[in-house]
Amino acid sequence: MSRPLPIAANESLTSIAASPSTASRLRSLFRLFYLREVRGRYLGTSTGLAWALLHPIALLGVYWFVFTTVFRAGNFGSKSFLAFVAVALWPWLAAQEALSRATVTLSSYAGLIRKAAFPQEAIVYASVTATLTLHVIGYILVLVVLKLMGEPLQLEGLVIALPLWLVLIVGITGVALALASLQVFLRDVEHVLVPLLMIGMYLTPILYPLTLVPEGVRPWVAANPFSWVVGRMRDALLDGRLAFVPGDAVAVVVAVALFAAGLAMFRRLAPHFEDFL
Amino acid sequence: MQLLELDGVGKDYPRLDAVGSRVRLVYRLLRGVAPGSVFRALDGITLSMQRGESLGVVGENGAGKSTLLKIVAGVVKPTRGSVQVNGRIAALLELGSGFHPDYAGSANIDLAGALLGLAPEEIAAKREAIIAFADIGDHIDDPVKTYSSGMVVRLGFAIATALSPDVLITDEVFAVGDESFQKKCITWMERYLEDGGTLLLCSHSMYHVQKLCVNALWLDHGKPRMYGDATTVAREYLAFHEAKLQAHTSHTQVIAGDYRITSLQLVPLNHGAEVDPESGFRVSVTIRSPDARPPVVVIGIVRADGTPIYGTTSEVDGVQPRREADDRYGFDLTFEALPLLPGHYRLRAHAMDPEGMRVFDLHEVPFVIGGSTRELGFCRLPHRWDHA
Repeated sequence: MSRPLPIAANESLTSIAASPSTASRLRSLFRLFYLREVRGRYLGTSTGLAWALLHPIALLGVYWFVFTTVFRAGNFGSKSFLAFVAVALWPWLAAQEALSRATVTLSSYAGLIRKAAFPQEAIVYASVTATLTLHVIGYILVLVVLKLMGEPLQLEGLVIALPLWLVLIVGITGVALALASLQVFLRDVEHVLVPLLMIGMYLTPILYPLTLVPEGVRPWVAANPFSWVVGRMRDALLDGRLAFVPGDAVAVVVAVALFAAGLAMFRRLAPHFEDFL
Repeated sequence: MQLLELDGVGKDYPRLDAVGSRVRLVYRLLRGVAPGSVFRALDGITLSMQRGESLGVVGENGAGKSTLLKIVAGVVKPTRGSVQVNGRIAALLELGSGFHPDYAGSANIDLAGALLGLAPEEIAAKREAIIAFADIGDHIDDPVKTYSSGMVVRLGFAIATALSPDVLITDEVFAVGDESFQKKCITWMERYLEDGGTLLLCSHSMYHVQKLCVNALWLDHGKPRMYGDATTVAREYLAFHEAKLQAHTSHTQVIAGDYRITSLQLVPLNHGAEVDPESGFRVSVTIRSPDARPPVVVIGIVRADGTPIYGTTSEVDGVQPRREADDRYGFDLTFEALPLLPGHYRLRAHAMDPEGMRVFDLHEVPFVIGGSTRELGFCRLPHRWDHA
């Protein structure tokens, strides 16, 4: 089995993944890394899986207590606060965890990157999808439980919510690719990310509806792609609106654009990982 | 078709010299602009390998050997030039190369296969053979980070061999592992080379380079210093090191002035640039004597590192010089045959007073004994194999 494997120095970035052998390699590596991420992170440790589910549930409980009992925010219109926050909080926490994990994931593969030639984006793909797929499962579980507890949820809304998760995964992967590649060179990315994500959470209508935001600021908050995703999930799961709207297409375009930009950035920087990891 | 072809390959590493330079570097890289300040790890490497034509890479530490091997293995993308590989490459770069320390040994087998682009069923088919060759027992299910260095090498070698590579890249990893495993490796290596396998070997052992490789590349500060047949390159490389060592060791105490060598000539009797050990060479020395008395000359041969091999004096041999002028005396001496092995040597001459007591002057002429051999040392001693 002899196939040409040309590596030209001035090759453009787009041709790296062109050969079919690279694509099949990417697939099998992704599969290995993915299984490894899931096993090592959630199944390998005794409390890992439980903690992955417990963390959002605990946060949800705290927010519920603080907002309904302490602040007495009450319900937003007809919506129950618990269901209202649960639908939006989980995707945010999942994205947050996916981003912070993916940012530092390359360094745990440093030995491999320094000594073997392979498409390194497989590492980021595996890290992000491992986190997000587990949270999708957790999300469905929690929604079912809330429904059984009598919360006003329209579970058929998952028909919209799950494709939105997919859009989310694509977009988050793009951001993760950019952050992971930057982290190799700029070690403080991971530290800056923590407060940024915290601020991001409060600037996204997760704990409050967009309608409560003062009108002057509202377009800015709405411009956040995550606001759109969250709003659509609420439409579907709380109000049972099961039709796609034109804005969903925009969301797809934004997600794909984020992914493409992240991947382009990653590929620009990837040739230098070996030297900086 | 060439198995491997490198054309003008070079690699620059960005240098970070100031605070904030990381941000600037990332910005430049993202724009596709070359980094401002770089370290040239490798430059101007052009070479080609055919099937069965193993190549040895030699050079001092930091000469760019590992970078070159990594470029061929595809781990490092060259900054300049092009690399063309027609075949499957397996690399054993350093200890535990390509292993993920947290993965179990068996998971690393899957990983190595996937890295090389093997289908899962191909890997599965080879798994048994790899585990058998590595022979590390139950440890195969433990994470690689718990392995001893010997076990890591065993597994690495077992994987590399099972993947039947067209080119096997390796640096010095054979020195690890116990006796029986080393034997297994050598047996495998011989079979591999016999079957037309090709090695890209990075080694400090000139013996191995000469034994295993057809060609050799000598890297010096990232640049090719010599590229040619392994025997010649190994000989030059050794001579370079001998000469370098010599620079650190002090000379014989020599008194300046008085009796001085005015000329020292070495003429190979085969009239070539290199001395043919069969025909030898002739030496002519002229010494100026301040008091017109006939001086004594010391003539000897030293290795490039200054180790004396043989020396004699006109006084020991009871020879008087030929008088050329009032204060000048000449000596002519012929070495008819030299039992020296190919390599770099120097002819050394001292002037001495007529009593043969004080050494006055030192002159040297370097020379090269031509030919190629895999004998060891620097001098051929007469011998015979009695059972043959």
